[in-house]
Amino acid sequence: MVDNAAVRALRTMDLIPYILENPGVSISSLSTKFSVTEKQIESDLQLIFMCGLPGYTPYELIDIVFEGGIVSVIDPQVLDKPRRFNKSELIVIALGLQILLEINKSNPVALSKLQSLSNKISKLGGSNSIAFNSLETKSEYFDTITKAISERKHLNIAYSSLIKDTKTNRVVDPQRIYFLNGNLYLSAFDLEAKSDRVFKVDLIEECNTIDPKDHVSITEPPKLFDITLNVRKSHRSFIERNSSVISASKDSGESFEVHIQISNLEWLRRSILSNAPGIAISSPSSLTDEVLESANSVLALYQA
Amino acid sequence: MSSQKTERLINLTLALLATKRYLTKSEIFKSVTGYNGSPETMERMFERDKDELRNMGVDIEVKGIDPLFEDDQGYLIRAETFQLSGNEFAADELLYLTMAANLWHDSALSNDSKAALLKIQSLSGPIGFNTFNSPIIRDSENSQMLAIAFEAIEKLKKLSFKYNGSLRLVEPLGMFMSSGFWYLVAQDDKIIKSFKMIRLESEISMDAGSFKKPENFSLSRYLKRYSEEEVIEAEILVRKEQAYSLRSKYPVQEYDSEWDLMQIPYSYEPEIIEILLWHGQNIIVKKPEKLRNSIISRLQEFVDG
Repeated sequence: MVDNAAVRALRTMDLIPYILENPGVSISSLSTKFSVTEKQIESDLQLIFMCGLPGYTPYELIDIVFEGGIVSVIDPQVLDKPRRFNKSELIVIALGLQILLEINKSNPVALSKLQSLSNKISKLGGSNSIAFNSLETKSEYFDTITKAISERKHLNIAYSSLIKDTKTNRVVDPQRIYFLNGNLYLSAFDLEAKSDRVFKVDLIEECNTIDPKDHVSITEPPKLFDITLNVRKSHRSFIERNSSVISASKDSGESFEVHIQISNLEWLRRSILSNAPGIAISSPSSLTDEVLESANSVLALYQA
Repeated sequence: MSSQKTERLINLTLALLATKRYLTKSEIFKSVTGYNGSPETMERMFERDKDELRNMGVDIEVKGIDPLFEDDQGYLIRAETFQLSGNEFAADELLYLTMAANLWHDSALSNDSKAALLKIQSLSGPIGFNTFNSPIIRDSENSQMLAIAFEAIEKLKKLSFKYNGSLRLVEPLGMFMSSGFWYLVAQDDKIIKSFKMIRLESEISMDAGSFKKPENFSLSRYLKRYSEEEVIEAEILVRKEQAYSLRSKYPVQEYDSEWDLMQIPYSYEPEIIEILLWHGQNIIVKKPEKLRNSIISRLQEFVDG
């Protein structure tokens, strides 16, 4: 961003209420938070040190102390509160609240608090031209999972694996929870398999917190396979949803030639069958044969 | 870049924010440090400073002080338009606000998320918030394109971009996120359509021309129509001890020693086909006939290559 005088003036003013609420904050943390260099933060602070209200006696100047890379505000003058949220910030907050409302569907206490907060935010402005189309994520264990992550507990879960099509009980060390393609996922360390796994939260059927036992958290890097696919344009959402495993993609008119690197062949076999006939495996040919064979056996079921 | 100017802008903002009554220009020039030179120079400085602050969203109010003298105008910034107040949000609300903004921290909206979080933390101080246990959204959208689209919707400016091989000039009406992807709702050649943002084939650019929003358009009504499609019930056979992900959502009845019977509601055929074929030989569609035939012809085309 071009740092003109007005941009710098407002950032500098924004520093004051932040430091006031977070006394003793370090210059390096301010530099991360405000996305500018430490040198810039220091020069911003030196600048505002000389600003204040008309009169400009010591009683009217903004007073801060900074020593050894640590800053506190003694007198913020009128800058004791942050600036109001701007339109795009309100949009981000309002959409975020909509998602939290969705996740907390089965928690009436949280739901009523979120609803009233959401009303408050919409009164502050924002936009009714930007929306979130509701997700259908069942997440009755959302609270249990997030609590386990923050308290560093383990979870005992019953999980219906979509890829292996089995229902198993596992003990996992939960790490993070995230949305991808509209679904909520838990990334966790599977203590039995001794490796990192990703679980779709709506396929977790039971979930209990347990105290952690020691575990070795060494993960062997999984073996990766290089595969080339031919994806018809009508099935390009396959590419869009799986962008993280795609190493290269080339537009060849009617279709895309896509290179992917994956460790889980079962996932790929199922994806290709479920997108049939939109995706074909160009190489390796052994995999092509396997998928064709399973397509033939499904067809046989219908012809029986 | 001159520090002097930055300093003057800060002092001007502080003075206008602290005053209870409107300050005239001459009062500003006398009391706010940084204004010097000839009256014309100071006048020019002030006009520019005022415009720059306004462009950054600072609401500087102006009012004629003496009705007889039009030049004699006063200026001030109301605290309630500039700052949040301390008691606007309760402690647990601040935590929810943090979670809401943090959701977008790693997404294409990360800049706005970061800015919002800064303000929330300037109200709350360090609260018991653990970034690891709070969900985040991962996407592969282009932040710049989203920002341009948001702006165009706000300012009612036309957008041009390439989509499905052709150049479009559309009137943007709204944006929505669905299944993790952003869609632009816009009027293209008198028809309201949705464009998936990551499918845009060129840079998006805001056109000089503005337009009038159709009076009867409402994004929520547009989206509602989306979700009010007819629901059809499929009757399928599920092999015993298989398709656990479906069994966790829909009940089954015993059919014979090998199969169970299940009913699944759907409204969009390609979507249900994807779900059913995922389970390969463990599912057979009985009804409706149309779905059954679609599956057979898809597989036939696949094996015929």
